Amino acid sequence: MTQLILALTVGILFACGAYLVMRRGQIKLILGLGLLSHGVNLLLFGSGKLTLGEPPIFTDKKNFLVELATRQLADPLPQALILTAIVISFGITAFMIVLINRRHTITNSDVVQGELVPLLLEGDPFSGDSSTGQEENGFDWLAYEVDEIYERGQMGTFWARVSSDADESAALEREGYDQR
Amino acid sequence: MNPNLLAVPVALPLFAAALLLAVARWGGRRAITFQRLVAATTLTINLAAALGLTQHALSGHRIVLQMGGWQAPFGITLIADGLTGILLTLTGIVALAVLPFAIATIDLHRERMAFYPLFLLLVMGVNGAFLTGDLFNLYVFFEVLLMASFVLLTVGGQPAQTHSGIRYVVLNLLGSLVFLAAAGIAYGTLGTLNMAQMAERLESAPMAVRTLLAGMLLVAFGGKAALFPLFFWLPSSYHTPPPAVTALFGGLLTKVGVYTIFRSFTLFFPDLLSAWQPLFLGIAGATMLIGALGAMAQPTIRRVLSFHIISHVGFMLMGLGVALQGNGLGVGFGLAAAILYMAHHMLVKTGLILAGGAVEIDMGGDRLQSIGGLVGRRPLLALLFFLSAISLAGIPPFSGFISKLSLLEITLDTRHWTVAAVSVIASVLTLINVMRLWREAFWGTYEHPGRLRPWLLDAPVRRWLVLGPIAGLLLLSLGLGLFGERFFHMTTIAAQQVLDRDGYIAAVNPVNPESVAAPSSKEGSD
Repeated sequence: MTQLILALTVGILFACGAYLVMRRGQIKLILGLGLLSHGVNLLLFGSGKLTLGEPPIFTDKKNFLVELATRQLADPLPQALILTAIVISFGITAFMIVLINRRHTITNSDVVQGELVPLLLEGDPFSGDSSTGQEENGFDWLAYEVDEIYERGQMGTFWARVSSDADESAALEREGYDQR
Repeated sequence: MNPNLLAVPVALPLFAAALLLAVARWGGRRAITFQRLVAATTLTINLAAALGLTQHALSGHRIVLQMGGWQAPFGITLIADGLTGILLTLTGIVALAVLPFAIATIDLHRERMAFYPLFLLLVMGVNGAFLTGDLFNLYVFFEVLLMASFVLLTVGGQPAQTHSGIRYVVLNLLGSLVFLAAAGIAYGTLGTLNMAQMAERLESAPMAVRTLLAGMLLVAFGGKAALFPLFFWLPSSYHTPPPAVTALFGGLLTKVGVYTIFRSFTLFFPDLLSAWQPLFLGIAGATMLIGALGAMAQPTIRRVLSFHIISHVGFMLMGLGVALQGNGLGVGFGLAAAILYMAHHMLVKTGLILAGGAVEIDMGGDRLQSIGGLVGRRPLLALLFFLSAISLAGIPPFSGFISKLSLLEITLDTRHWTVAAVSVIASVLTLINVMRLWREAFWGTYEHPGRLRPWLLDAPVRRWLVLGPIAGLLLLSLGLGLFGERFFHMTTIAAQQVLDRDGYIAAVNPVNPESVAAPSSKEGSD
């Protein structure tokens, strides 16, 4: 019975996760990935045998082999695996949320559009002007350097990209990783 | 030889990355110089260790390290054979070649956002995935390299990067989930995650379990390797980060997927390798053709090169498909050819992406329509690009020729006419593609679309930091082509080792948990 419930739960989690991942909304995407990873974790959990109230602790340390043969203990290994998997999926989910928040500030929309369509319409919000044709050249990854550093002619010497540390942090402040 | 050397390619980049992360936000010029020096030293030592391992492994040994002294299924096993050694060496070379280019071209903002630690973590994940002998550990190393690649791809936060980053993260995450589910099913049905012990127990496992596991692993690893139906994340993301990052990804990431397919199918499912041969060859042919055809339609240099990566992964899979066959040529010839092809691909592809990146930086853009005429302005870059391109297309005396020839030989030898014809067509298309790049970017009148004055290739030191690695990789490719016989001999040894399952199992020597009898022995541990 427990096994059936577990299997059904895993199946429902997978189904809901797959459905949500295929929706257009970005929040739904995150929720769907969360449900999918929960489903996988639960599947890992079920891969050790399901036992009720049998912790993997030997009462008699000397004869643990006897105990291993007679009692059906819970398997600790899948739980360790799940712990690892939870940590990893937690990290990736956090990263995804930041990434999607970033995109939300760019596109002002929760809906996943086709490639670069909103950008071409609205221009690059980080460059300050939308008529530079940067997107057209597919060359926007250098936008920071382009405006701030190279054109001020500070590229003269090899190691000295910026004249001093103070200048550098001021440039960072102005550019800002966070636009708000 | 000391087996602890096996831990160096994993532990050293990890510790170096941790050290660099600790100082990353100090941010001054001197701190960044320090980061560069540490990264270069680490990667040099890594390459030296990989070379040592390769030399030992290619003399016919397997080097096994049981971490912490735990016997095989209880602890984590690191194992290196010829294939692992060759790939570790290539990883070291690629990383060491990309680093100077990155030093010369990566902007200050990215350097301060922990670029070098991430670089090292990516190398660590790749090395670990090649070395590990434990399925769950493989998952962990996959995640390490994926996390590093996620951040490398998106750091800088440009709109295009964010867009492609989401796609890349989601699709790779889905692949990882499939892999994790497969690991769970493997543990539930086989009771072990040690790869040698899994191989042992899979022999007597029911057919349903074998098929299910093989299918899930093929989907998971095929997604990472960008095989035919699962390739679309690659061309939509590889053109957005800086060229140095693209070169690193193009050189390393898909090859990890290919390696895991090689390893899992030769070790776990050797019988499916022949039973599923039509599937493998079909996927291989479709991948080659789609990659080459997709490249024809692409408007920028890096997009064309991204599609070529896909096409080449198909060639490698073709070698695996015929690995267990051979009429006139020996069994294992196909796998040896595929390994040689991987070596060729990792060297040449990295060099070509670097050259394309140099063009892009010099021109201020790499849209083929709006650039042209570089051959008069930058003759050296043009020469390097041209030679790398014909090596990629498979013109002698470069390495592309010998590796493609050996692959073609084995497919003809085993009478797979269709896939052989498809591979020839894909090669011709590749040639057309790279010549198109050459014609658009280097011939014609000089057009400079960027707003910037071109500077990189005029800078005194940076110029060589950019061109040096490309030339070095090209020389290696030339060497691989000229001394093809010798290198093919090496990859043959590696292929024989990979196909020798019993030797792998005996080298790891996993014990049965139930048979660990003595009460004083340690209990099973995670």
